[in-house]
Amino acid sequence: MKFSRVLAAAAAVATAIVGWGAQASDALVSTEWLEKNLKDPKVRVIEVSVNPGVFERGHVPGATNFVWHTDLADPVRRDIVSKDNLEKLLRNAGVNQDSTVVLYGDTNNWFAAWGAWVLDIYGVKNVKLLDGGRKKWEAEKRELSTQVATAKPGNVTLADANPKLRARLTDVLASAEKKSNTKLVDIRSPDEFNGKVIAPAGIQELAIRAGHVPGAVNVPWGEAVAADGTFKPAAELKALYAAKGIDGSTPVITYCRIGERSSHTWFALVKILGYDVKNYDGSWTEYGNSVGVPITNVAGTVWTGK
Amino acid sequence: MDGQVNIPPKTSIAAALGVAALFFWLVLQVPERDALGRSLPLSLLLGGAFGVLLQRSRFCFYCIARDYIERRDPRGLLGILVALAVGLLGTYAVIGGWMPVPSPTRLPAEAHIGPVSWVLALGALVFGIGMTVSGSCISAHLYRLGEGSPVAPFALLGAVAGFALGFLSWNELYLRAVQEAPVLWLPRWLGYGGSLALQLAILAALALLLMRRSAPVEPASSSLFDSVFRRRWPAYVGGALVGALATVAYLRVGPLGVTAELGSWSRTAADGLGLLPKRLEGLDTFAGCATALKETLLSRNGVFVGGLILGALAAALVAGQFKPRLPTVVEAARGLAGGVLLGWGAMVSLGCTVGVLLSGIFAGAVSGWVFALFCFGGVWLSSLILRRMAVARGLL
Repeated sequence: MKFSRVLAAAAAVATAIVGWGAQASDALVSTEWLEKNLKDPKVRVIEVSVNPGVFERGHVPGATNFVWHTDLADPVRRDIVSKDNLEKLLRNAGVNQDSTVVLYGDTNNWFAAWGAWVLDIYGVKNVKLLDGGRKKWEAEKRELSTQVATAKPGNVTLADANPKLRARLTDVLASAEKKSNTKLVDIRSPDEFNGKVIAPAGIQELAIRAGHVPGAVNVPWGEAVAADGTFKPAAELKALYAAKGIDGSTPVITYCRIGERSSHTWFALVKILGYDVKNYDGSWTEYGNSVGVPITNVAGTVWTGK
Repeated sequence: MDGQVNIPPKTSIAAALGVAALFFWLVLQVPERDALGRSLPLSLLLGGAFGVLLQRSRFCFYCIARDYIERRDPRGLLGILVALAVGLLGTYAVIGGWMPVPSPTRLPAEAHIGPVSWVLALGALVFGIGMTVSGSCISAHLYRLGEGSPVAPFALLGAVAGFALGFLSWNELYLRAVQEAPVLWLPRWLGYGGSLALQLAILAALALLLMRRSAPVEPASSSLFDSVFRRRWPAYVGGALVGALATVAYLRVGPLGVTAELGSWSRTAADGLGLLPKRLEGLDTFAGCATALKETLLSRNGVFVGGLILGALAAALVAGQFKPRLPTVVEAARGLAGGVLLGWGAMVSLGCTVGVLLSGIFAGAVSGWVFALFCFGGVWLSSLILRRMAVARGLL
């Protein structure tokens, strides 16, 4: 009897260690950890999914829903949410100064990672991403809830936006014109990068030029994840980016089409590898529309041209 | 009747079992989830149940309206009121769980709450006229397909063409009216309780009005088997079950609707033929029976509609109501012409008697009520005209 109890305790400790050890970084939590800590009042879970009706029909129990294009972005001008609005939103979600915020979402956590980037800009502490996101939670048949939890308002206070995490057109242009040592990572598909297409299949073309920023290297975001949607181990990620000349010795800017998939890579580079990285949310829909900027267009596609 | 096939009961029960076997085989075959993570097998099962319900209770908006207009028989209309009351209560329970306080800026996920303008009224009116001309609305043509109706295939074909005409006129209508039309959601002004009370009160008042006409007494049935499988279910039973089914569908898959798939075939075909403008302005921003270009063969609305037809077919076979026959030229012409009106009306109204009228009212949408008013207005008006024409020709 006693022996079996000791065994059980040892097994629990081992599982906990393995559960933690399996994560590539302490900015990530496993589905297993989250399930065990759902009842912890210090843990606040927030879903950021892009597809409508996904949260409502079943979410991680106790999670709050953030809608990225109205909650985390300014709905009128092209910008991230204002400090005041985000503070209100987080307080309504029950986030306190000492809370651990766990973000997750559909489509491989793209928008959850975007949320993590926005929260980081406003200095929110202890922000984690659920490794593998919604897809892994569902695949493991973990509990889903359709009830919307009403949280006791929290007291989190945000800092002013930190410009160091956000790249602007001038930063990208400086790199393109070799006036800075910043390296660029384009995380779009090779066909977008090479200018064969201006936008991914089925997505409206919002830029009127094809190609990429001169000097950028192409590492599609999907190369950073394993088959189950979790991030690859740190050593593998390090090798992946080092092979393209991104080794952390110089500052980096990540970009994609509108800045959301590149947040995913931003998260990997900053939170797992600890590199100095800015995300460029203007991305190709700003750069590819800018007048007079240099572009590398390998395929030579001309917008509306024959 | 000429050309009518009389299927002996044993053969038809065997055929019904065959259809049921095919149905459940399909439930096992369809992919587990669609792109949004909704269960496709569940959507198919709900579609099958909806088909059985529609067929067994003859939940046909046009037949119901005609029963009242021609014979003052209110039973069918009372069935619709029961469906609305049950569906309202169920849908409000779901929405209240998802959104504890009605948001001033956001709408409950995917609820069919549409823009209210003269375009909606016109679309509903034309849809109502299409019901009279073709003899049914779209959902009833779908279940009638399962009964072997000679008109339904032409009406549905006409509806696909009507949808294409709807897409062609959409940009003009959108810029003239729909873009600035308000999307009115009753709980935003009256709260959940207030808007529920108001709508239930309207339904109760309508029911009292209808009940002043004494309904014909339902004849007693000889056996339980007969009442379940052969005789038409009382309309209020069908109505209550439709309301309950709508609640489950909304909670797990999406609001009830039957035109998204048809519209999507039409949009894909018309687009493939190069008939459509490059952009349909604002269309994809509205909730409702939105009609996306087909990307996957099996959509949740597609399997729902497929299940509906199979469910109705099985139910009709058992009841001995599967009576396929060749259409006459007049039937084919009426089906096609009426179908075009149904398709156009459903496209510009963003849905039909199921997607806008039922699902809209269930969710507290003003658009649902407006559609109901003008659709039944269209049926009444066109029935009156047809009657006048018949009288003038000395047929009545």
